[in-house]
Amino acid sequence: MSESLTALVIDDDEQIRKLLRVILEQEHYRALESDCGWHGLSEIALRRPDVVLLDLGLPDMDGLIVLKRLRQWSHVPVLILSVRDGSEDKVGALDAGADDYVTKPFEATELLARLRAIQRRTPSATENAHFEAGHLTIDFSSHIVKVQGREVKLTATEYALLKTLALQAGKIVTHKQLLQEVWGPNAVEHSQYLRVYMMHLRKKIELPDDPERLLRTESGFGYRLIVPPSRY
Amino acid sequence: MQSEMTGGSITARHKSSVGATPPIEYVAAVYFTALVTGAALALEALVGYVAVALLYLLLVVALGMKLHRGPALLVAACSGLIWDFFFIPTRFSLHIVKIDDLMMLAMFFVVAMAMGHLTSRLRLKELAERRREQRTAALYELVQQAGLASDLDSGLRAAIQLTETLFGVRATLLLRGPDHTLAAETHSAGSFPLDEKEYKVAAWAFHHRMPAGKFTDNRPEAAATHLPLQARSAVMGVLSVHPPPGTIFGLAERELLEAFAVLIGTILEKDHLLQGLRQAEILQVSERLQGVLLQSVSHELKTPLSAVQAGFDALGKEIGGAERSQTVVRAIQQGLRRLHRVINNLLDMSRIESGVMKPRLDWCDVGELIRTALRLAADGVREHVVTIEADKNLPIVKIDQALLEQSLCNLLLNAASNSQSGTKISIRARFADHRLILSVLDEGKGIPEMDLPRIFHTFYRGDGAAPGGTGLGLAIVDGFVRAHGGTVTAANRQPRGAEIVITLPVETLAPDMVEKFA
Repeated sequence: MSESLTALVIDDDEQIRKLLRVILEQEHYRALESDCGWHGLSEIALRRPDVVLLDLGLPDMDGLIVLKRLRQWSHVPVLILSVRDGSEDKVGALDAGADDYVTKPFEATELLARLRAIQRRTPSATENAHFEAGHLTIDFSSHIVKVQGREVKLTATEYALLKTLALQAGKIVTHKQLLQEVWGPNAVEHSQYLRVYMMHLRKKIELPDDPERLLRTESGFGYRLIVPPSRY
Repeated sequence: MQSEMTGGSITARHKSSVGATPPIEYVAAVYFTALVTGAALALEALVGYVAVALLYLLLVVALGMKLHRGPALLVAACSGLIWDFFFIPTRFSLHIVKIDDLMMLAMFFVVAMAMGHLTSRLRLKELAERRREQRTAALYELVQQAGLASDLDSGLRAAIQLTETLFGVRATLLLRGPDHTLAAETHSAGSFPLDEKEYKVAAWAFHHRMPAGKFTDNRPEAAATHLPLQARSAVMGVLSVHPPPGTIFGLAERELLEAFAVLIGTILEKDHLLQGLRQAEILQVSERLQGVLLQSVSHELKTPLSAVQAGFDALGKEIGGAERSQTVVRAIQQGLRRLHRVINNLLDMSRIESGVMKPRLDWCDVGELIRTALRLAADGVREHVVTIEADKNLPIVKIDQALLEQSLCNLLLNAASNSQSGTKISIRARFADHRLILSVLDEGKGIPEMDLPRIFHTFYRGDGAAPGGTGLGLAIVDGFVRAHGGTVTAANRQPRGAEIVITLPVETLAPDMVEKFA
């Protein structure tokens, strides 16, 4: 990585901040630290980091509120790093605009991979007509989807679903976001649509015996299209 | 009409005024007829015998309004005969010459009959009115005394007292217990105990939600009448009344008594619901406390663990390629992962035991569930051959996917730790009779027969179990599955190995739904 990216760590635990700094600097990030929500918000405004690692349990205000305030004026990628592992917490944070969610204790390699995924600028289908992840290729201009070089016929909805996931490859897309994107705002309560279509989509694009699944389930809240490491 | 009137008494106190014709009315009939006859004899010389007949007619009308039909007819008959015998020419004989005298005589009877009819109708109306009024008054009194009492026991005591004074009976109550069965002992407010035979009749009334015992169609040979305390949602107990010998309960009394039973049932239900509400409030507060406590314990345990893990991850990278140091770092990282799992298990177990655990049901693809569980278990089952045998047409089911993934993952880890590496572990999934059945089968040494009932107990560890387990894995599976209303069972396989089966009642997505969107 030639250019040096800036990462802001907002966490009240000093040890964690120090260690994250070491881990980030090993990956050539420039690390900034904040120990509370207010300071964190002003740091984001002043220093404009490229990515934010946000803890939810902050002393002055809940991390979720920090996130909501932040989202009113900034699109900076935010990764939540919290000990809270309930799916309510995760869904809440993701639907409030977080880009990903990692629970503590975390593994450094996993954390770094997620960071890379969220700070990749979301390409629009028009400017990036071709998508590739492992055995799967998508041509957005001609709507052609190929698995291991062979074309697969997808229905319009299946294609819309796959496209939504592919455009945010590597990131979690929550059920709500998917339903809203593919079926429209009135469908957000109908998670059964999603299950049925995902089931069909998997049958068409996943290899039957591949243990590394392309469409990974984030239990209770969303899906993630996995991009195999070769892409980095 | 007469029979309706005899059934009309509402309470013992009012019986005389509205019951069967009392003999006093006949005496009165004779007395007034004699009185008028005296007057007639005195007046006849002045007005003539026809005007006397009008005097008698007046008597028939007047008494007809007051007396029952029997005495009224007696008055008519007496008046007719006396007038005929003493006043119509050819006196002192019943012989009638003139046709108009005969008509007048007939008129006595017609008027008497008509008056009797009108009077009895009037009386019935009056009676019904009074009955309604009494009924309303009685029920109002019951609500006042029992329903608005400060505590349930004094309310019930008031209800029993009211029943006893109003109906002239002895009364007692059997209440529904907390386990929704009929209490074995009568309530302390009751004034007589039930013997075994009567208790059986009361229990019958409770279970069949119908009155039983004396004066009813069910078990009329019993000594007491037993009425179920039927409230809106359930039968809250039984009201038993013991009438003194010789009493007969009429329709109205039975109706009022049944209304009493319903009202007492409603009062009990109100109290029951109120208590439930209070308990739910307490529970909610304590659950919130538990939740907060668990969250902070979780935070305090995991934060330092995160620091240690992040530290070693960073250190591993710093050290670089030095093989021996890398081995050490990897060993530490593995240990940390295990510690992490143990902490998670302990927290899960506390959640289960504190009752904070509530499944969040959502639609789920079972195939997806199995694969995710397999991914969670990844390292643990790496040295085994895992096969998935799932039915082709498994429906989309409503479950808490995260909890079941964890359960299935625990079963996989359990199977792996109880069998040799290289052996097969199978995951089976099928759907039958509205139930999702997930099983994990291994080819290990199996479970000792005597331990089969205990393996889901907290902290149970099999003899010679692989080190590193906490004895919580299966207990957590049990807790999670129970939270779903399902069951988990274990059995040994032939010739070797164990099989653990999760059975869950599930809601499924209608097949046409799947078709429609496919």
